[in-house]
Amino acid sequence: MRWIFLLVALAANQWAFADETCMSPYMAKITGQEDFVYVWTLGVEGVGDEQDKLVTVDVNPKSANYGKVVSSLSVGGRNEAHHSDFTDDRRYLWASTLDTSKIFIFDIHTDPAKPVLHKTISDFVARSGGVVGPHTSLALPGRMMLTGLSNNRDHGGRTALVEYTNAGDYIVTHWMPTDDNLQGAVKSGQYADGYGYDVRVLPRKNLMVTSSFTGWNNYMMNLGVLMADPEAMKAFGNTVVVWDLHARQPEKILDVPGAPLELRCAWGEARNYCFTTTALTSKVWLIYEDAKGEWQSQAVGDIGDAAKIPLPVDISITADDSRLWVNTWNDGMTRLYDISDPHNAKQIYSKKIGEQVNMVSQSWDGKRVYYTSSLLANWDKQEPAGPDLQYLKVYDFDGKELKETMSIDFLAAKLGAPHQMRFGAYALYGDKTASR
Amino acid sequence: MIAFLYRAALFAALLYCMAAAGAPGTVLDPGYGAPQYEPPAPGSYQLPPLGIATDGKVLNDLGEQLALQDLIGDKLVLLGFIYTHCSDVNGCPLATFVMKKVQDRLVEDADLAQQVRLISLSFDPVQDTPAALLDYAGNFRRKDFDWQFLTTASEADLLPILEGYDQWRQREYDKDGNYTGNISHILRLFLIDRQGRIRNIYSSGFLDADTVVNDLRTLAIESQAASGS
Repeated sequence: MRWIFLLVALAANQWAFADETCMSPYMAKITGQEDFVYVWTLGVEGVGDEQDKLVTVDVNPKSANYGKVVSSLSVGGRNEAHHSDFTDDRRYLWASTLDTSKIFIFDIHTDPAKPVLHKTISDFVARSGGVVGPHTSLALPGRMMLTGLSNNRDHGGRTALVEYTNAGDYIVTHWMPTDDNLQGAVKSGQYADGYGYDVRVLPRKNLMVTSSFTGWNNYMMNLGVLMADPEAMKAFGNTVVVWDLHARQPEKILDVPGAPLELRCAWGEARNYCFTTTALTSKVWLIYEDAKGEWQSQAVGDIGDAAKIPLPVDISITADDSRLWVNTWNDGMTRLYDISDPHNAKQIYSKKIGEQVNMVSQSWDGKRVYYTSSLLANWDKQEPAGPDLQYLKVYDFDGKELKETMSIDFLAAKLGAPHQMRFGAYALYGDKTASR
Repeated sequence: MIAFLYRAALFAALLYCMAAAGAPGTVLDPGYGAPQYEPPAPGSYQLPPLGIATDGKVLNDLGEQLALQDLIGDKLVLLGFIYTHCSDVNGCPLATFVMKKVQDRLVEDADLAQQVRLISLSFDPVQDTPAALLDYAGNFRRKDFDWQFLTTASEADLLPILEGYDQWRQREYDKDGNYTGNISHILRLFLIDRQGRIRNIYSSGFLDADTVVNDLRTLAIESQAASGS
């Protein structure tokens, strides 16, 4: 019944609870204290076994192992570990890689404290018809929707969405609409670049929305070299695409210039909008349904000084859709925006988290906020060495101020460069497990 | 008698939910309410196969033993897992509610209705006997509609079916190790074509009956095209 209760919480009371960072609306949420955070971690040369790994940290203050790494599961080699997410039944964690395009599927339900590698998908590029760099893994009922970042023809930014069953069997590929092939979509502005990055859905509106970043040529390039290459800097996405979720049909291509990355949709049942931020132009963008039922894009806020390239990265929307955490990787800042008026996002708080900061995840009630540092292996800063370079940090948030409660230096612990975080809890799997 | 009263109370609760869906202050899954979108037109989209529908030994509500595959192949099938004593209004009652809405839609389209079978298969072979399912079915099934209410003779018969459909389920126990009667599970419905392939999986929390009916029409159009008729 607990599982059902959680499902009720996610589906019926969407307006009442936080998003546990950014999970699929089809998925059960952890409503209480999370027991673990799973950190998908890049292997770093000269650090530990140098391999990508799934690091499990006990984060329940009542646990004897609170604050400790309770499991570290290396997967072999460095693959540019990046994003990860659960299947809709939350029994498996799909962890993708941007260089080798491998997808590692971990069983996290048999023993939530000790994930095991269940399956590895090594033929993603061939099966998908040439998609490279699986990024987001979004749970849909009984299947996973994966975004690609690139392709194997020119390793540029043109790419596709790829569906797999929960069992890890390939289903179908949906290429992003381009000027050459709009696929029936309406090009509403200047761009139809065919790039991809994140994907989110609003099932009650039959809406799927995708954003756009850059291809393998760029994300595997040294950041300094990339920034000095004017031609390479032109190869970033400038679009958000609105899709018919059920038909998987692209309907409208919206201009959102400057590499719109993470997408987070509001939870309120009358709030038909999603947010994204642009990495290169440092703005908060709103993707919204207007009074005529048309989906539109609008820049609704500035993020730092765009001339200094703060590089907005991960974002997280809060329980009541009133706040949005925005991390800026380059200056290591987390920034809290008041989005009560979604058309006017105002920064109301900021704090420096480290030398660089990428991912942010918050607990169901928004009282705990988690941060990790790594962006991409060839973009990450190498100095100054110390606990603020590659880390997991946990904070309590009282609505006004962040107070650090826990941190792990991932280099000192010989783990690597921490990227995406996902929460685990015994409560998801029944009382028997919880009693262990 | 107690079981009958329990089911009667459950049915009353479901009727209340049906009536209350959309009412101010009512906290129900979106599946109870009206959709906020126009479903895509039948035949305008693809439903790629998601795998083969698993077979297994089942009992119908008359106590007759069948192979699940006996009920798959001659018609399009919408299959959902339930247990009749599920008390969470957004759990199994919602799955049954949506199935009933699909039934109501199909009654308005006799040609399509003849091509469709609904199947509700129980998670709980202990409490959901054929007699219990027959009683439960009487609350929802139209007399002339092909809606099968199935159970299994044992956990041993049920488990391979659940595994085949990747349908996670867990009995809940209290601190003393006693079964509470509650079963944790994720709510899914499966659309199965005449070749026994799963063509869509729905999360009933967001399920819209009109969208399901359009999927059924899409598969019917596909069958017509394949047969050249």
